[in-house]
Amino acid sequence: MRGKRKWGVALTLLAGVTAVAALAASMGGSATAGIQGPIVIGWAYDAKGQMAPFDNPALATARIRVRELNAKGGVNGRKVRLDTCDTQNNNPARAKSCARQLLGQGAQIIFTTCDVDFATPVVQEAINRGKLAISTCIGTDQMGPKRFGASKGRLAFSFGNVAQDEGSAMAEYAIRRGWRTAGTATNTLLVYFKNVIQAFEKRYQQLGGRIVARESYQTGANNVQLAVTKLHAKSAKVYVTSTAFGELPAFVSGFRTLGNQTPILNSWAGDGTYWVTQSPKVTNYYAVTYASVFGDDPNAKINRLGKQVKAATGGFVQGIGTIDGIVVAIKRAGGSTNGAVLSRTLENFKKVQTTNGKVSFSRNLHSVFGRQYRVIKVHNNKGTRVGFVTAKVVPKI
Amino acid sequence: MIVAALDAQTLVDATGLGAVYALMAVGIGLVFGVLRLINFAYGQLVMVGAYTLAFTATWPVAGSIAACFVVVVALSMVMERAVFRPLRGESQAVMLVTTFALAFVLQAAALLVDIRDDTIGEIATSIASFNQPVTLGSLEIRKITIASVAVAAVALALLAVLLTRTTIGLHMRAAATDFGTARLLGVNANRVIGLAVFLSGILAAAVAVILTVQNPFVGPDFALRETIVVLVGVVVGGIDRLWTATLGGFAIGFATGVINGVLPTEKSVYLPSAVFALVILVLLLRPGGLFAWGRQTAVDRM
Repeated sequence: MRGKRKWGVALTLLAGVTAVAALAASMGGSATAGIQGPIVIGWAYDAKGQMAPFDNPALATARIRVRELNAKGGVNGRKVRLDTCDTQNNNPARAKSCARQLLGQGAQIIFTTCDVDFATPVVQEAINRGKLAISTCIGTDQMGPKRFGASKGRLAFSFGNVAQDEGSAMAEYAIRRGWRTAGTATNTLLVYFKNVIQAFEKRYQQLGGRIVARESYQTGANNVQLAVTKLHAKSAKVYVTSTAFGELPAFVSGFRTLGNQTPILNSWAGDGTYWVTQSPKVTNYYAVTYASVFGDDPNAKINRLGKQVKAATGGFVQGIGTIDGIVVAIKRAGGSTNGAVLSRTLENFKKVQTTNGKVSFSRNLHSVFGRQYRVIKVHNNKGTRVGFVTAKVVPKI
Repeated sequence: MIVAALDAQTLVDATGLGAVYALMAVGIGLVFGVLRLINFAYGQLVMVGAYTLAFTATWPVAGSIAACFVVVVALSMVMERAVFRPLRGESQAVMLVTTFALAFVLQAAALLVDIRDDTIGEIATSIASFNQPVTLGSLEIRKITIASVAVAAVALALLAVLLTRTTIGLHMRAAATDFGTARLLGVNANRVIGLAVFLSGILAAAVAVILTVQNPFVGPDFALRETIVVLVGVVVGGIDRLWTATLGGFAIGFATGVINGVLPTEKSVYLPSAVFALVILVLLLRPGGLFAWGRQTAVDRM
């Protein structure tokens, strides 16, 4: 009988301990959890596939920043370790196993690639285990609760500029330049492309601009020239699009071969000069971006880094900027790398200074807004920074 | 509203697109005729041609275009010799899957070559001046549109002469009708197939030159989507005869251009849905092929 009572007490204690542990796990741990040992960031990146031009330079600058941090003693006395895994052109199964592998190696924060569709397998693995999932440059509001749910989605963030902010900044710039009539062309391939143009149109009209023509095209659909011809028929002070890939040189050269020299304004998607055609040369072309890759960024450190990593677009700076942001979050969280704690901290970011500008998030918007953009002009195939612009409002679209 | 949207500019652009697709359809139809093989890797031949134009962009234009033709034709012949010939006689399913595999291999190889400079995509600028327009009243017709129609017409005329006025053409037609019987009657299979693959390569190179004028950015998926659409067009037109396949290619290109012009801008995202809904409708109404009038032969449908 005494033996039975002893077992009963033991089982009750065990059940109590288990319940407490389960409760702690469901609460996402305490703010002081995970503050021992190195801070391990796992990065599932695309080494040689179609996202490689974005992932490789960002990873390179992140590595540089991590080396700098560790040389100065780390973060709160803890070294930072950056583990990587190649998703092999964002193969979903491989990306998922990469995330598992990195988490198995002790990653406390997971970094992923710059397209939300490609990033999804990695994000889900991370947030399902209560870890923070970060992209350096996803440009839509889908990296967060909108796509991944009101609960676990709070663990997903992007340090990329949200498309609504970017489109709004482009509108501010167009109005500032006196371009008060615009023809817009939407590439319907990506949500990011569409959101940029929607935000541009909304903000542009709020500022007194007039949209004189709207056309659309789609990557791979062989219809960009038709859109160009139709826009060309309507006189405008600026043509606005958001696109990259094959349609960008086709769009720009389409206008120029028609003898139309009207300014063309693009989003970060059209940064750099790796896409320019020799005939006709790219002229009177503008894009907003994170940093100038032409050696004329106002931040000397960014110029050095750009040269060092042979960056093609200003997105390279997102690697270092994201590490900056995460370091601030960990410090503000008292050294915790707990996902829920870091998420709450990031949601309270208001103009937090990073190498590439001030970063703000909100409870609903887990991509950056309010950051200053560099405006790049490409003329005769040569790129230069010609100004800055910041969106004053993020329009609802 | 639809009539108003269907302006002359749209019809001209649609005709140009139809001409390019017709050229691709001839290339696919030629090989199907003698090998009973739908070559899904055809688009990758065009892609390789476009990369050749990009990598030789600093050469004189004629040299760059010549290099494109040499590389594409050579690759086409190598594909036939190294892959299709050993599998000749295997089931159509085996050959079809093989062309899929070949397409993926070529695309992956292109990606590996392309990414060496840490960016994806190369710029091909062979005859960019052909993108300039000729103005006819309110119409602005790009020279490349005129060139596409002209090249398609000339290529088809030459092909018609080859097929109807030469011995090798007769052999090709005999092989396309019944390969086994044609061989029993002395038709040299390797020669006939070799010529079909050679001509198919020539046409792929021509398509590469035309496409890069309007889309100078070349990536690993260059011409992939066009190939899929043309393959559908070939089946819709009637794959068992070269001219019906060609008309099918033209028709789907023309229809794509017209639907694109007619659809309101905000609805243009539905372009592929509209085109393929039309394809389903045609196949339901004319399963033997849109242009296969009066034919009762069994038709291969893939």
